Amino acid sequence: MKILVPVKRVASLDDEFELNDDGRDVDPDFCEFDLNEFDEYALEAAVQIKEAAPEGSVEVVVLTIGPDDADDVLRKALAKGADRAIRVDDAGLEEADRVAIARVIAKVAENEEPGLVLCGAQSADQGNAQTGMSVAALLGWARTAVVSKLDFTPGAATAQVERELEGGLVERIEVETPAVLTIQLGINTPRYASLRSIKQANAKPIECLTPHDVGLADAEIGGAGALSRVRRVFVPERGRGEIIAGTPSQQVARLLEIISEVNG
Amino acid sequence: MIPSGIDPSKVTRILFQDFSPWMLAIFYVYAIGCMAAFAWGVYAQVHKYRAGRRGTRLAWGDIGRRLLDTAKTIASHRTLRRRDTTAGRLHAFIFYGFTLLFIGTATITLQEDILGPLIGLEFWHGHFYLLFKLTMTLAGTGFICGLLYMMWRRGWLKPPKLDYARPDRTPQDADFSRERYRIEDWAFLWTLLLIGITGFLLSGARMVWLQNDPAVWDTRWWAPVGASIAAGLKAVGFTSAGAGALRMGLWWLHGVLALTFIALIPYTKAKHIFTAAASWLLRNPEAIRHLPLGDLDADRIGYRELGDVASRYLVQADACTKCGRCHEACPARAAGYPLSPRDVVLTLREQANTHLGEVLPKPRAAGCAAPLIGLATGEYRPETLWSCRQCGACTEICPVGVEHVPLINMLRRTLVDEGEMDPALQRTLGAVNKTGNCFNESRRKRPNWTKDLPFKIKDARKEPVDVLWFVGDYASFDPRNQKVSRAFARILHSAGIDFGILYEGETTAGNDVRRVGEEGLFQQLAEGNISTLGDCSFNRIVTTDPHSFNTLKNEYPDLGGTYDVSHASAFLKELMADGRITPARKLDFTVTYHDPCHLGRLNKGYDAPRELLAATGVKLVEMGKSRDNSFCCGGGGGRVWVPDPPGTTKVGEIRAREAAEIHGLDALVVNCPKCMTMLEDAVKTTGNERNFRVLELTELLAEALEPEEPAVLPAHAEVG
Ligand code: SF4
Ligand code: SF4
Repeated sequence: MKILVPVKRVASLDDEFELNDDGRDVDPDFCEFDLNEFDEYALEAAVQIKEAAPEGSVEVVVLTIGPDDADDVLRKALAKGADRAIRVDDAGLEEADRVAIARVIAKVAENEEPGLVLCGAQSADQGNAQTGMSVAALLGWARTAVVSKLDFTPGAATAQVERELEGGLVERIEVETPAVLTIQLGINTPRYASLRSIKQANAKPIECLTPHDVGLADAEIGGAGALSRVRRVFVPERGRGEIIAGTPSQQVARLLEIISEVNG
Repeated sequence: MIPSGIDPSKVTRILFQDFSPWMLAIFYVYAIGCMAAFAWGVYAQVHKYRAGRRGTRLAWGDIGRRLLDTAKTIASHRTLRRRDTTAGRLHAFIFYGFTLLFIGTATITLQEDILGPLIGLEFWHGHFYLLFKLTMTLAGTGFICGLLYMMWRRGWLKPPKLDYARPDRTPQDADFSRERYRIEDWAFLWTLLLIGITGFLLSGARMVWLQNDPAVWDTRWWAPVGASIAAGLKAVGFTSAGAGALRMGLWWLHGVLALTFIALIPYTKAKHIFTAAASWLLRNPEAIRHLPLGDLDADRIGYRELGDVASRYLVQADACTKCGRCHEACPARAAGYPLSPRDVVLTLREQANTHLGEVLPKPRAAGCAAPLIGLATGEYRPETLWSCRQCGACTEICPVGVEHVPLINMLRRTLVDEGEMDPALQRTLGAVNKTGNCFNESRRKRPNWTKDLPFKIKDARKEPVDVLWFVGDYASFDPRNQKVSRAFARILHSAGIDFGILYEGETTAGNDVRRVGEEGLFQQLAEGNISTLGDCSFNRIVTTDPHSFNTLKNEYPDLGGTYDVSHASAFLKELMADGRITPARKLDFTVTYHDPCHLGRLNKGYDAPRELLAATGVKLVEMGKSRDNSFCCGGGGGRVWVPDPPGTTKVGEIRAREAAEIHGLDALVVNCPKCMTMLEDAVKTTGNERNFRVLELTELLAEALEPEEPAVLPAHAEVG
């Protein structure tokens, strides 16, 4: 049995950053990139299922969509216990939204026929929390979002999952497999990938495909397959605060200044 | 001297007189049997040691110097006298007594069984024999005194370091009990004591038995203890014949005890006679400052199974005498963490004995595969390994040269490789990998602390400098330590030093990353820094951070980066000696000085900081634990990144309390950015914030260099 874990290389921003010229995203020069934290939990859940099963009976496949820089996160995932990695190149996917991305994942899932697809509940940079559910919708599989506990024996017809609700309630659900689950933070303790194991993972091949290779038609790729479009990214004007320093009389002087400024 | 009328050749020890041939036969059979048991035991132990991994940086070219050092160390008992002078001295009594008695007995064998029968040489009579008797008496007396003291110490003094209770186990655990060791300790002392006592009794009985032979009786006072016993025996009515029978009985008791003891040496704690010497000879004197370079491409990076362990460490495990010096010195143990360096060593010993055989050698292949880390009986628990601060206090004090620090580090490398660690530590290592610093700050921000300086520090990447200052993470990012960095920069600037920093080009030096056990990340960081430094032109490196100092100086050479590295305190001392900086006034504070492990114990930088303190005019009151015995602030070995579990005592709190005992203390002076962070926190949590301040040596010096009034001490509210 296979478990497919789609992962994302997410950006974290510096304190100071600039936007791209088209104003629709942040200039990547100002970002540090890493494996999405939510996906680390999803991956750990998959690897734990594999480790509990007889050796060789479960294969954990990680998938990402992005440029070759994204191989880093796949290597990290391989170091953390994934067996195989697939990267679908994002050339032509510039205008893709989460549904268009989900189309790629769903196609890969159709080809790989996993018993489970485990996604992170959301991405740390964009936080849509939609990709996983869109994959399930496209595949027509059972799905559960924001899973906080997962019990699954490979080969079983169902998986037992729990979700945390408002007011401290826990909901226990039985989901038919194959299923798509999105995994919440804290479901487990993801293991550390040592630099050495990442280096060793460099030796494992990463299968590199195009959207066409996985079987998508032109009408499903990128902007054509998207249902939405980013128009603008910006920093909203914020109210300003100021700490007034100095002697009491200096402070009063500055306060009066501000009052007169505000009153115009 | 020999009374006139006695033929000097008659003045000798009768040996087998009155022995029937079958008695002699029994004696020789037993003696040869004991020798065989001894030889087998040696074979079994060597079989065990050879199961370990070979070749860990022992330069054979060095062997002459090593042998000499080992001989000197044993002869002087230098390491045994440290922090326990009486026990060390009395051990010397036992050691010298035993050695002399052993040599004495060996000369008997030499004449009786080798030289006599072979070449007819007989030297063992006359004046030589009398002097021999006197020497043996002195040796025997010292030997017995030493043993009696040790019994008194174990039975009545009971120093806490001899308590074998394991902090890393609970009484419910199968491997908690140390009963076997306790029994062995006493059996060892009693056996030796009985051998000594029967020896003297035998000497007395022989005199009474042979009282009619003037060659014996008239020279008896050359063996004063024996002669006194003889007087006693006579006083209670022993005749020559009665004493003869007593002599025969004692002779056998003494002989059998002594031979049995020899047979048991390789199987009992007595083996430390050999293993301690071997351990010292094989030890790596750099062990605490220079960890072994890991091969990232090998199948294993750390110790996972018994067969991974270096042979040298297996010898060390057998050399440990459970003296408890390391146990006493360990800060983690003192704060109640589940770690004792003594038990780290004994765990290895027990695991090797169980799986490779102590008496009967077991097949190597299976023994070598025995796991080392886990929760089962006899294994190292991960929390034990994670408790260590890699402070070196254990290895530094061990009288027999056990290297706990690299051993623990090699075990941790396996934990890191398996990804088993505290989530906080994981996050920090992840941040270091991503951003090159442990604060998870953008690389761009590293030089931000320089912005408030009234001058611009040179960028060593762009122009040649004389002194390249490697700033380090804590000194760059931590607000309290940034103040110290600025103070140091001002001193260098006003002394007219041509210096520069690497700005965003610096990444953390990796000392603590390595001590955590993340060898791969360490090597990546070191290679990165070495390549950056390779593009710069400078003459020497200076750093205020003892951790960076340690790894740059001692560990970077393994990866191709050899530099002239000084710690700021040594550098400032040089500047003062050259007259480039001069204190403008005397500071009137009472301070104490906390030796940072990485500067003090690891690199012996004890004096320069104290000389600087003296130059500022402060009154230095030393804490009980200082210099080589300094007590870690708690932040070493990556523990600065892992919060102490709630409810535990912090290592730093013990230190803060120790400082607080000093009457009228104004400041606890530290000399390391991590100590600053840890101890400032500990001073707060122990409620000493209002009693004294934590100051950096550099700050204090900067204060003394400034001519105007001090601003540092009275302004309690300013720092916080
Ligand atoms: S290095 Fe320090 S903390 Fe670690 S075992 Fe030795 S004494 Fe204890
Ligand atoms: S390891 Fe060394 S210091 Fe520690 S108990 Fe053994 S002999 Fe003593």
